[in-house]
Amino acid sequence: MPEASKMKKPDVKVVLLGDMNVGKTSLLHRYTERRFKDTISTVGGAFFLKQWGPYNISIWDTAGREQFHGLGSMYCRGASAVILTYDVTNWQSLAELEERFLSLTDTAHHGCIYAVVGNKADLTDSKAQLSQDSDGVSEDQIQEEMTKPQVLSACPTPPASPASLSGMSLNKQVTREDAMAFYGRILRYKGLEEKGSLPAEKMCFETSAKTGYNVDTLFETLFDLVLPSILRNRNENLQSPTVDLEECRGAGSKRARSTCC
Amino acid sequence: MFPDPTEINDGDAADKEDPAESRLSDVAAQEQSLDAEPLSDQEKEQETEETENTERQNNDSTETADGGTEDAAVDHDQSDSGEFVVTVLAKAKLEEQGIGVKGRSSPLLEAGTQECPAFISHRDEDVTGDSWRQHRKHVFVLSEAGKPIYSRYGSEEALSSTMGVMMALVSFVQSGDNIIRSVYSEQHIVVFLQKGPLVLVCVSSSRQSEEQLRGELLYVYYQIISMLTQASISRIFEHKKNYDLRRLLAGSEKILDGLLNLVDSDPSFLLAAIHCLPLASSLRDSLSHILQKAITPNLVFSILVAKNQLLTIVQEKTVIEDTRLEPTDVHLLLNLIGASSAFQAGEIWTPICLPLFNPDCYFYAYISYLDPPECTVCLLLLSTDKEAFYAVAECKRKIEEAMVAQNSLSLIAKAQSYSVSQVGVSDLRHFMYKPFDVPDTYRQLTQFTSPEMEAPYSSEEEKMRLLDLYRFMHSRIHSTSRPLKLIYHVAERETLLAWVTSKFELYTCFSPLVTKACAITAITKLLRWIKKEEDRLFIRYPPKYSTTPNPSKSSRGGKSDQQDSTDNGFLSLL
Repeated sequence: MPEASKMKKPDVKVVLLGDMNVGKTSLLHRYTERRFKDTISTVGGAFFLKQWGPYNISIWDTAGREQFHGLGSMYCRGASAVILTYDVTNWQSLAELEERFLSLTDTAHHGCIYAVVGNKADLTDSKAQLSQDSDGVSEDQIQEEMTKPQVLSACPTPPASPASLSGMSLNKQVTREDAMAFYGRILRYKGLEEKGSLPAEKMCFETSAKTGYNVDTLFETLFDLVLPSILRNRNENLQSPTVDLEECRGAGSKRARSTCC
Repeated sequence: MFPDPTEINDGDAADKEDPAESRLSDVAAQEQSLDAEPLSDQEKEQETEETENTERQNNDSTETADGGTEDAAVDHDQSDSGEFVVTVLAKAKLEEQGIGVKGRSSPLLEAGTQECPAFISHRDEDVTGDSWRQHRKHVFVLSEAGKPIYSRYGSEEALSSTMGVMMALVSFVQSGDNIIRSVYSEQHIVVFLQKGPLVLVCVSSSRQSEEQLRGELLYVYYQIISMLTQASISRIFEHKKNYDLRRLLAGSEKILDGLLNLVDSDPSFLLAAIHCLPLASSLRDSLSHILQKAITPNLVFSILVAKNQLLTIVQEKTVIEDTRLEPTDVHLLLNLIGASSAFQAGEIWTPICLPLFNPDCYFYAYISYLDPPECTVCLLLLSTDKEAFYAVAECKRKIEEAMVAQNSLSLIAKAQSYSVSQVGVSDLRHFMYKPFDVPDTYRQLTQFTSPEMEAPYSSEEEKMRLLDLYRFMHSRIHSTSRPLKLIYHVAERETLLAWVTSKFELYTCFSPLVTKACAITAITKLLRWIKKEEDRLFIRYPPKYSTTPNPSKSSRGGKSDQQDSTDNGFLSLL
C-alpha cells in the first residue's frame, strides 16, 4: 500500500482492543478496504498507517486471543485513542472488555480517549443491515426484525418476517445502555470526571463491519477527536495553545498533563 | 474405525463435569447416566452394547486386548454400537454449542443455519458422520488430565469422551511402568506421543510408518510450543492440572490445521529439509545483500519468502556460531506466514518461539508483504526485543527501497520452480534430492531440491499418491529395524529408486518401463545436472550480519547512530 510503504512518522496511535471474534480486523478492513471479507484470527498485532488529512494515524489491530494478552500493554503504549470492541450478540465479549482489556490501557497516553463499539449490529438491528453508513446515531435500534446470523456473504441478508421477534431479543445480548454504563465505568477506572470527559452518547457506537453501518462514523469521529492530541504532540515544545478547545470540550483532563516521552 | 471406545467408562471420568450432560436428549441422557455410574444395573441394555463394542474394537487391534472384559454378549438393538457412542457424543456436541458463548447462541442453531455449507468448517463437522470416520489422518491433542486441546476434524467438545478414552489407554499402560507407543489395526495405525503435559495422538489410514507419524505429531507439538513456549505450558499445568489449554490456543486452530495440511502435501517435512526457490545466484546474492544492510540492534534473522518457498535467509553472526537454524523452525515460521496472510496490507508484530532453537523463549516476528496486493513476497524479521517494532519496521522500509531500486520484485516474480524436463533424462518423472556434501550449507541449513510435480502427477490425488510412494520409500530407507541404502521399487504405475549415501539422500520416480540399468544411468546424469545447477538450486553460503547491541564504534558505530536518530520519531510514540 502506498501509504504504508513510504517512510512516514505516525502522528498518533489508535488501538483496537476486544475479545476474539468480535470483529476488530473486519471493522478495520471495512474502513480501509471498503469491503467485508472472511478474516482469520489475527496473530499478535497488525500495524496500519492511515492518512487523515495531513496527518498519519497509526492503527494497531490487536489479537483478541488470550495467548497474546501479554503484548496488549505494549500495543497500547502511548495510544491516543482506544477502541474497545464487543459483539452485540455476545454478553461475555463486553464483560471481557472490563475484565481483561481495560487494564491494558494503563500504558496509554494520559489524555487517551475511549470508544466503546458494539459490532455485528446487522444481526440485531434492521437499520444496520442496509446502509453503507447512514449517519444517524443508532438511538432506537431495537427494531423487531432479525437477520440470518453470521452468513458470511458480502450482501446483506433480507430481514426476516416480524414474526421472529422472540429470536431477536435473544439475539441481542448487549444493549446500548449497557455499553454506555460500561463507558461510565471506564471513566471512573481512569479517575476521570464524567463532566470533563467526552459524553457516553458520543463515544458508544454500534457498528456492522459486514454492511459498513456506522463504521466510517466511528473512525472519522475518533480521528477528529484525536486531532487535538496530534497537534499537541507537534507543539509540545512550543507550548502554543493550538488545541481547538471547541472541538474537544471534554479534553480538560488531557490538557492537565503535558505529554512525555 | 479405530479402537477408541475400549475403556469408555474409565474415559468418562475425565469429562464428568461435561456441562451439556444435563441437557441431553432421551437416548443421550440414558447413555450419559450410564457413563457416570457404570455399575447401575437398570441400564443393562446399553451396557451390553458397550461390551460388544469393546470386543469389536479389540478384534481390530493388537495392543488393547488388556482393555476390556470379553463377555460375548452380542445381542443389541442398536444397529451399530460403535456408531452409537459417537452419536451420543455428537448430540452432546450440539447441546454444548447451544449454550456456548462463542459466536452462536441456541436460537440460531435451531434455525439450522449452521448447516450452511458455505462456511462449514472441519471444526463443525459431524463426528458421527461417515465422512468424519473416512478422514485419512486424524490428529488429537489432549492434556494429561484427558482434557481435549485440539482435534483436526470435528469439535473438541464432541470428542471429549473419545479423548478421555485415549488418555485412559495412555495411563493404563503407564500404570504398568510402560509407555504406549502405537496400536495397529487392519486399516489404521494409532500413534501416541507424550510430550510433557501434552498427549498427542494420530489415527492414520495412510501407509506411513509409525516413525513418520510420530515425527508429524512432533511437528504439531512444536507448533503449539511456538505459540506458547514449553516453559509456559509446563508452568500452566503444574499450577492447574486440568487447565483448558484451548483458552490459550483459541484462534490458533487454523495454524495447526494449516500445518497438518502442509505436512500431508509438502515433502519438506518428510525430509526435514528446506525447499528454496531456484534463483540465479547473482539475484539471490543481491537480495541477501539488501537484507544484510537493513539491520537494527537485536535483529537475529531476516528471511525473504516467495510463494511459500525460501528466497534467502540472513542470520546474526553470533547466533549461528552458537546454534544452527533447524529446518523444523523454518517450517513453523513458513506455516505461520501462510496462516497470517489474511490481512495483507498491514505489518504484523507477534511473539513466536522457535522450539528447536530455544523452546522456552520468544522471538518477536515482524511479518510484512512487499508486493501488495498480490502478496507473494513476504519479509520476515525476527528480533529478540519486544519493543523493537518501529526499528524493525524501519528495516523493512530500507529493504523495500533497495528492492525498488534494484527492481528485485519483478525479478523475483519471474523466478519459478523448474521442470524435470530440464534435466534431460527422458524416463525421469520426478525426484527429491537432499545433499549432505556441502559442509557449510548443511551445517547451517538443511535443504533439498525437487522439480514441479507435472503430469501424470498434476491432479491432487496423483500428487498425493506419489508422495505416499515417497513416504513408503523413506520409511524403508529409515526403518529402525532394518535400514536400507538403496531400494529399487517397481510399483504399479511407476518405478522408484531411493538411494542414501554419506553425501546425499535421493528419491527418484521413473516411468514404469525403465530398466535398472537405465535408472542407474539416469541417476548419474541427474547428479551431474544438480551439481551444475547447485548455485541456483540451493542457498550456498547463508550470509551473516552482526547486530549485537554494542558494536565496536569503528566499523558499525556510525551506522547504528544514524539508525537511532531516525528511530527517535517513532520512539516518542512508544
